[in-house]
Amino acid sequence: MAVTAKQPETSDQRPPASRLAQWARTFGAALGRPIISVILAFIAGAIVILITWPNKTVDPFTNVINAYTTLFTGSFGTSENFSSTLVRVSPLIFASLSVAIAFRAGLFNIGAAGQLAVGAMAADMIGLTFTSWPSWILVPVMLLASILAGALWGGIVGFLKAWRGAHEVVTTIMLNWIAFYGTDYLINSHPFTAPFGVTQTIALAPQAQLPFVATLSNQIFGTHFNTFFYTVDISIFFALIAVVIYWFIISRTTFGYEIRVIGQNPKAAQYAGIPTKRNIFLVMALAGAFAGLAGSTRLMGQPGYELSATAFSLDPTGFDAIAVALLGGGTAIGVLLSALLLGGLRSGSTAMQAIAHVDPNLILIIEALLLFFIAAQFLPVLRRIMPTWLRLGRRPFLAPATTGTTSVALPENGNGDMQNEIEIAELDKEE
Amino acid sequence: MFFQVLLRALTSTNTWHTTLESAALLVLPALGGVISERSGVVNIAMEGMMLTGAFASVMITLALHSLGVNDALSVILGVLAAIIAGGLMALIHALTSINFKANQIVSGIAINIIALGLTSYLVFVLTPAGQGVPSLPFSLRLPTLPWGPLANIPWLGYVLFQQNVIFYIAILILIGVQFLLFRTNIGLRIRAVGEHPQAADTAGVNVRLLRYLCVISSGLLSGLAGAYLALGVAGIFNPGITNGRGYIALAAMIFGKYTPLGTAGACLIFGLGDGLRIPLADLSPNNPNLTTLLATLPYVFTLIALVGFVGRTTPPAADGIPYDPGSE
Repeated sequence: MAVTAKQPETSDQRPPASRLAQWARTFGAALGRPIISVILAFIAGAIVILITWPNKTVDPFTNVINAYTTLFTGSFGTSENFSSTLVRVSPLIFASLSVAIAFRAGLFNIGAAGQLAVGAMAADMIGLTFTSWPSWILVPVMLLASILAGALWGGIVGFLKAWRGAHEVVTTIMLNWIAFYGTDYLINSHPFTAPFGVTQTIALAPQAQLPFVATLSNQIFGTHFNTFFYTVDISIFFALIAVVIYWFIISRTTFGYEIRVIGQNPKAAQYAGIPTKRNIFLVMALAGAFAGLAGSTRLMGQPGYELSATAFSLDPTGFDAIAVALLGGGTAIGVLLSALLLGGLRSGSTAMQAIAHVDPNLILIIEALLLFFIAAQFLPVLRRIMPTWLRLGRRPFLAPATTGTTSVALPENGNGDMQNEIEIAELDKEE
Repeated sequence: MFFQVLLRALTSTNTWHTTLESAALLVLPALGGVISERSGVVNIAMEGMMLTGAFASVMITLALHSLGVNDALSVILGVLAAIIAGGLMALIHALTSINFKANQIVSGIAINIIALGLTSYLVFVLTPAGQGVPSLPFSLRLPTLPWGPLANIPWLGYVLFQQNVIFYIAILILIGVQFLLFRTNIGLRIRAVGEHPQAADTAGVNVRLLRYLCVISSGLLSGLAGAYLALGVAGIFNPGITNGRGYIALAAMIFGKYTPLGTAGACLIFGLGDGLRIPLADLSPNNPNLTTLLATLPYVFTLIALVGFVGRTTPPAADGIPYDPGSE
């Protein structure tokens, strides 16, 4: 399929355009692929509903329209629904930043689910052990514990990748399951497990939870935010701050520059004197820290949320995060918007089931198709048959270097570059 | 105390019966993974293919049974449907990763997600009132194959000669794959395509066709394992039935250094973890939960293997790289 190579670089051949047109063109280039992927995934989801026709009381087309309308109103339609979407979005943002920052360094963090699990468990253990501590000390310590636990879990991956050349996809899958079973063990163990043989932990005390935005704003401003933010906890603000921090790290710091170089070309980074190994370790630890925060904010955000034995192996956040990071192209704003989209799908799916009688697992199908459409290079083929005015993007925004649409993400069996680097480093020593 | 329990666990026929059963369940998708990765296509989607296979086997068997087809035939067709369903999932993986040059890990994740989504969705649509699939009657399950007088050997009989029929098929497949990969022309070509596709192409090997066949056969084997799990071992289908077995198979493949026999050895070790779980619960009567930690052992072993304490594991050189005839 040599189609990609034959694409002409039209951007250089066009006459100079107005600033608005230039802006629109860059914007289109960045948004074209994800938007088309989302539309295609929704169309495919509609076809699934048409074929299966779950609600026989209406005709199939009405069923599709009902499903998507309720999906939308159930996630963004009313302020109550929007606030319950935000409840899902804030852990998702943290987990997605975890996947995204690893992407920028050319690493594939499938381990967000496991890092999330150890983060939540660490926070839960602190919260259930030091029940007498006041809120202002307990909450920060719990958050810190989740950051450290996640960073440890991610750091192991980074260490193994950088110094032992073990492929991060494999190690993260292994560490995920170790985390799932390990937390399962702790959840069912003495100090944490709820009495009467339920396989879940005791609920956290109120002072170990993050306050609601509504409660907080009522204390400060009066009551006028009450209806809008309903039951959102303040972790949504933490998530927004984290997005800004992510943007700052990636585009305004030396570390961010270095990991982007490593992501684009590890050998160039090595020759430029960038400490590749140390940075790979640090970026995975940072990714783990983000994912750990996803776990603790999920745990501490909503009252009465206990960890159950299968809480983590069935929690979709870790895998949603991969879709979000890919869809957002690893950029801060992209992650924010995609997290809203996927969080909205998840939270709207209950309304879709209740009103349109479509099983919420349709969301999983749409999500998987979304992944296919983003990852697969259909678009060069598609673009050839599209009318000219529709040609938005010129180049797949998934830069090959970041997530390996060609050969770079899994360079020479995935460990080759690291092995080369080890050899290079050894050569350096000999000299 | 400890040694008594351990000795009792290790000499119990139940332990070894379960061990071999779990190992056979793992070895089928793991062999699929070996074939696929040897040909240069990364496959982390065994979990999804197994799940699809399990779903198809139960659904087709039940459907045929309700249409009045006799029991044996509906089970056989159910197993066939599982194999085909696994193969179809693998075909999607092959299409996206070979033709559309998608990132093979993303494609694998997408297969796992879509398998979970599609099976859960279809269970909801196809079962009355969406209440889930009923447990299969024993006449609709895969039978154990008694080996006549051999089955009556005191200890060995129950362990080796009273297993499910798919168990013996799995052993045959294991021998077949080992022979295919290392003793035949096609095996040599598969390995060449996985190590250096350009060279293989120059020598006249059809790289894409071979990769397609290898990826699809990984789906066929995973689908068969799904049927074994649903129709043979569990006798029921629910979307959580595979419970990470596809990932343990992935671990076994790496632990076995991408060779069929090594993989089978890894499956035996991991299967022993399964077999010991119930007997070892006696070790800590106050905290039977301790055996949950045993479940982490396959993954811990694999990490240790990856780190290189027991000899470093290296995947085939071209594993995960889409073949582009124009490059180099």
